Amino acid sequence: MTRTRATLLEVEHVTIRFGGVTALDDASLRVNAGEIVGLIGPNGAGKTTFFNCVTGVLKPDTGRVTFDGHEVGALPPHRRSRLGMARTFQNLQLFSGLTALENLMVAVDAHTQRGMLADAFRTPLARFEEHRAEERARALLHFLDLSDRADTLAGDLPVGLQRRLDLGRALVGRPRLLLLDEPAAGLDTRETAQLGELLLRVRDRFNVTMLLVDHDMALVMRVCDHIYVLDFGKMLTEGPPADIRQNETVIRAYLGEAVS
Amino acid sequence: MTARMRRISLLVVAVVAVVWPALLSDFSRSLATDGLIFGLIVLSLVLLTGFVGQISFCQYSFAAVGAFTVGSLVSAHHWSFWLAMPLGVFGAALVGALVGIPALRLSGLFLTILTVAVALFFDRFVLASGTWNSFSGGLSSWVVGRPAFLGIRLDTSYRFYLFVLGVFSLCSLLVWNFRRGKTGRVLRAIRDAEVAASTLGINLTAWKLAAFATSAALAGLAGALLAVSIGSVSTGGYDLIHSLGVAAVATVMGVNSVASAAAGGLFLVFGPEILRHLGVSSQWFNLITGGLLIVQLIVTPDGMVTDTQQKIRHLLRHRAAKRASETPAEIDLVSANGQTAGAPAPAARPVRTGGQR
Repeated sequence: MTRTRATLLEVEHVTIRFGGVTALDDASLRVNAGEIVGLIGPNGAGKTTFFNCVTGVLKPDTGRVTFDGHEVGALPPHRRSRLGMARTFQNLQLFSGLTALENLMVAVDAHTQRGMLADAFRTPLARFEEHRAEERARALLHFLDLSDRADTLAGDLPVGLQRRLDLGRALVGRPRLLLLDEPAAGLDTRETAQLGELLLRVRDRFNVTMLLVDHDMALVMRVCDHIYVLDFGKMLTEGPPADIRQNETVIRAYLGEAVS
Repeated sequence: MTARMRRISLLVVAVVAVVWPALLSDFSRSLATDGLIFGLIVLSLVLLTGFVGQISFCQYSFAAVGAFTVGSLVSAHHWSFWLAMPLGVFGAALVGALVGIPALRLSGLFLTILTVAVALFFDRFVLASGTWNSFSGGLSSWVVGRPAFLGIRLDTSYRFYLFVLGVFSLCSLLVWNFRRGKTGRVLRAIRDAEVAASTLGINLTAWKLAAFATSAALAGLAGALLAVSIGSVSTGGYDLIHSLGVAAVATVMGVNSVASAAAGGLFLVFGPEILRHLGVSSQWFNLITGGLLIVQLIVTPDGMVTDTQQKIRHLLRHRAAKRASETPAEIDLVSANGQTAGAPAPAARPVRTGGQR
């Protein structure tokens, strides 16, 4: 399959070492606009490191990360976020002491400019932005079927709903690239299937490109247009799901272990 | 319902706060004034501990910056209080931001220990009696008179009380506005999950420094007012022990509520006074606060004021829910849980328009 659409994210020859361990070794990956790209690999392959490198939590020792034509390798996470990147978390880093509504509102807030002074005196701008943030957060809660949990503390929600809220929090800032770090972790088969549907629905409605990292082969095969396989910090291979499913090196490195 | 209740209770509190002290003795009134000033320091902890989640043991060091600026400039250099006070507040904010810089790397217990170090540094060097001899002629000669506000001399205890009440109310309102606005959400988000906040586009450095500076500014303002209230500045009033005490009281009352500030401040001045009335030495006050702290941590981990507020809110909501029991909540919950990825409901359209504006 040829991939003709415009490149949104390009990671080139990235290497990261922690002490003596090479977590990522010359890894490259490309995500085109409108695609859902999967990144798979056994435990410890470096998937999360790769992820952190794209979001800016970690800086690569060598290599380039280009997002939408901008070289972002040196930018801190919040600057990348403003360029249109958002992520979800494997271990669900929700703001547990904030309500579901506030969790989404704060994601809108993050992209506004006003500081403490505007808040302190509740200027017209602050009121307007506050109103708009709440409107958008409520609309998204509705989309996620979480409207009746708006005032529940995020920490009190069941895990399935927390996952959905985490997804919503990433979406509410209207990112162009959504990075999903093991969204199916902790979900059962039925919930994972629902998540797959939700992801496809999200892509169509929000017109967002996704990079999906997960262990769940059914999910990755179901939703991804293109898949990369990472093993011991190296990109093993890449291709459309049908090819990856039959690729012998992949089966040996990853699927074989998982299936047998 | 709850909003109306809140408005009514606020009105009642305001009337009592204005009228009642008029009936008190001069001494009790000045105690109440000091209570509100200490309340400002508790308020500074509501901001720092309640929002950012950072325990600080050097709030009185920030207060000292305000107090010593006002003390030296007003008495020895004949500045106007209205010039010296903002300078003191600004100075405190600056020191607060400096203390905040390590907060970008440290957090939790380590940062708390650092605040202890700051307090000890202040105790040893800034608050040492000899430090000020070469500048402004030494502490003992500092006399800070009552300023005039809009042409009215704040020379009676009631007038000064009203002035402090006004300042305290304004600051409480500001912190309350922080809490319900972007600031509160952003700072609490940083408290709960720093990395997530940062990936959402929140500038951790700027917000943490702003929170530290604002908290220190509140404490500095309290120090400036305290210098005026007492009429002089002493080295013993701003040390580590005071900072520890106010942190304990803020915790007992609950750092998540703005109302804790008033309760905590009044408790700090009237607590020892009540003990004295009972014929007990006020030295027992710290011990009693410590005991209260232990009880509170076990019984009401969120703090006494916060806990009471939550109970009232819960009660009101419970009652409201009873009244509106036409639509059973149970069914809503089931459909929300079970139906993740059904066909997009027509009502979901606003998302789209909202999303593309």
